[in-house]
This record gives sequence, C-alpha cells and structure tokens, in this order.
Amino acid sequence: MPMSLSLSLIFAFMAMHAGACLAADDLEWRQHATQGGVTLTANPLTAAQRTAFYLARGFTESAIRPYAQACGFSLGMRNAGAGSVHTKLADWRAIGTDGRSVGLRLPVAWDADWARANVLPPARVAFRWAQFQAENSFEAGDWIMGMATLESPLPGSFRIVARYRDDKGSHEIVLHRLSCAHD
Amino acid sequence: MKSFSTGFPAPMTERRRFLAALALLALPLSARAQQRAALSPVPGVPPAPTLVLPDMDDKLVDLARYRGKVVLVNFWATWCPPCRKEFPSLGRVRKLFKPADFEVLAVNVGEDPETAFSFAGATDFPILFDRDSPAMARWRVNGLPSTYVVDRQGRLALRAVGGREFDDPAIVEQIKELLNRGRTR
Repeated sequence: MPMSLSLSLIFAFMAMHAGACLAADDLEWRQHATQGGVTLTANPLTAAQRTAFYLARGFTESAIRPYAQACGFSLGMRNAGAGSVHTKLADWRAIGTDGRSVGLRLPVAWDADWARANVLPPARVAFRWAQFQAENSFEAGDWIMGMATLESPLPGSFRIVARYRDDKGSHEIVLHRLSCAHD
Repeated sequence: MKSFSTGFPAPMTERRRFLAALALLALPLSARAQQRAALSPVPGVPPAPTLVLPDMDDKLVDLARYRGKVVLVNFWATWCPPCRKEFPSLGRVRKLFKPADFEVLAVNVGEDPETAFSFAGATDFPILFDRDSPAMARWRVNGLPSTYVVDRQGRLALRAVGGREFDDPAIVEQIKELLNRGRTR
C-alpha cells in the first residue's frame, strides 16, 4: 500500500472515530470526566497497540514488553477554564474496588529501564514525549495527551483520582469504572 | 507480534497496527480538540532561548537571524496526532502575512528528515530537527505539540500547549497585534 494511501486511510479512520466520540459524549463515555473547566479523559491501550507504536519508534519487542504489558492508558487533560491549572502525575492514584491504591509509573522510571536496556536515544526521545508528562501546566485553552501506566495492575474495575491545582486551591477529578485493556 | 523489527519505517503489518494505535491515542480528545482557542501571553515576555538547528538540508538555521520578524516556533512530531492535525494550519497562517514580517519554524522532535518529509512534504517554511531534544529542554517544552510566538524583539510573547488551528481568527489577530506593536516601537 502506498504511504499516501495509508495516511489517507488513517485520517479517514481518525475522522470516523472523532464522530463516534462526539456521539459517545452524548450517550455514555465512561472514561471522561469534567470538573469546572478541567476535562480528563482516558482510553485503555492494549499491549498490541503499544507494542506496534513503539516498534515503529525504534524499540525492540523485548525492550518494550514490560511497558506494553503494564496496565496502560492514553490520557488527555484540557483546561477550558480561564486560569492556569497545574498537575503532577505523582499525585494521581488508581484505586480499586477493594480499596487498593497504586500510583502511576512516572516516565523517568521507564526511562531508567530504557537506559539499562540500551534502548537507542531516538526511541527514548519518542517514548519520553509520547507519555503524559510528569508535570503539566495548562493555561486557558491548553490541553495535552499522552500515555501512562499504573505502577502495578489492578484487577477488575478501578478509578483514577487526578489531583490538580488552580488559583482556587487543590482539586480532584475522578475517572470511574476504568479497567486494564486486554488483547 | 509476528516480527521483532527495530527499524523505521516499520513493516506494513506493524505500520497498520501503529496507525491504529495512533488513531486510538487520538480518540479521547478528538472532539474537544476541535474547540478553538487562542494563544496565552507569556508572563514577563522573556528573551527567547537560543534555537540553532539543522534544516531538511542539514544547514543550520538560527532563530536570531529572524530578529525583526514575528516568528511562530512549533514543536511537533509525526507520531503526535494533534501535531499532525494542526500542521497544515502552519502553512496557512504563514501565507496570511508578508515574509518580511512573519515566519514559521517547525521544530521536529526526535525524527529524521525522511520521516518528517514523508508527512509534511515540501513546505514553504523551514522544518528544523531537534533529534535528541536539547532545544525542547532549553525552551522548557513540556508536551507536544507546543508553540511559541517570538516577537520582533526576539522575546517569547505567546505560547500554546496542545493543538490549535493557527489561522483561527483569534490567533491571527494576536499575531497582527504583535506585528503592529513592533512597528510602533
């Protein structure tokens, strides 16, 4: 398949799913929460999806396997309010229905693994910037997305409690009924 | 996975999976991403950090050479869905202003010219390459895409994190304001 055709297909695919998202917003979008002007979104990612993404960025399959097999998500955060919003991934928790709580593994921890595994610099650069960053500041209208993983998997359903602060203080926004994706 | 390829570009079967993953990555915010937003003022309007990077032809391009123009500096990568979405608007906004007044510099992060060209093709503005992302660090970029607008005096005037449509009237007006402000000084 010519590359231009591949790209055309992927854009058509993306456009199709963008429409689906709009519809899902109206009906049921379990991995979507809004509080004040802040919107947090999550989408579980399978091992196959992440493996394919990072193989194309220069990882070997064996190197990326621990990341791909971790419980992972694509996360998005948007500031539609008027002021600044700040968040640290280290302050976020995933909490299971049994009350067990785990943090999100920070990108720097993964990068230490890549250094030990002699992952090539271009792959590490791509990985770094494809992650939901450890610290984010959002001005009005800003948004960011990236991948993230739990420090350890949680069985069944869980919620992610994301903490952020703005000029009014500290807040929590909660994404309910999440679960790890399985291939 | 059927293979253990480490090369780039990936074999087509892996490419398809990669593109599917890319699309999936884009899903959660795709609707929200269509909301338009202007750029935020940079507090204190500090001097822009140094930016000297190779272009597609491996020739060094120095931001300092554009002093006197308003320059939109966009950090991007081909694998970043919002970067891909906003990229065409870089060319559109550039055409709205005189080349003597305004320029766009698209700083690709971590990729090579072939990869960038396969997506962007021939552009009217320079694409620069920050292979190991030291420029990203100097500019304190904390996510892709990120964009700064440098005023005629070489200062960081405006910024944005996340995708925008740069020919949005609100952003065009902000650039016009910067151009006019520079003229009056």
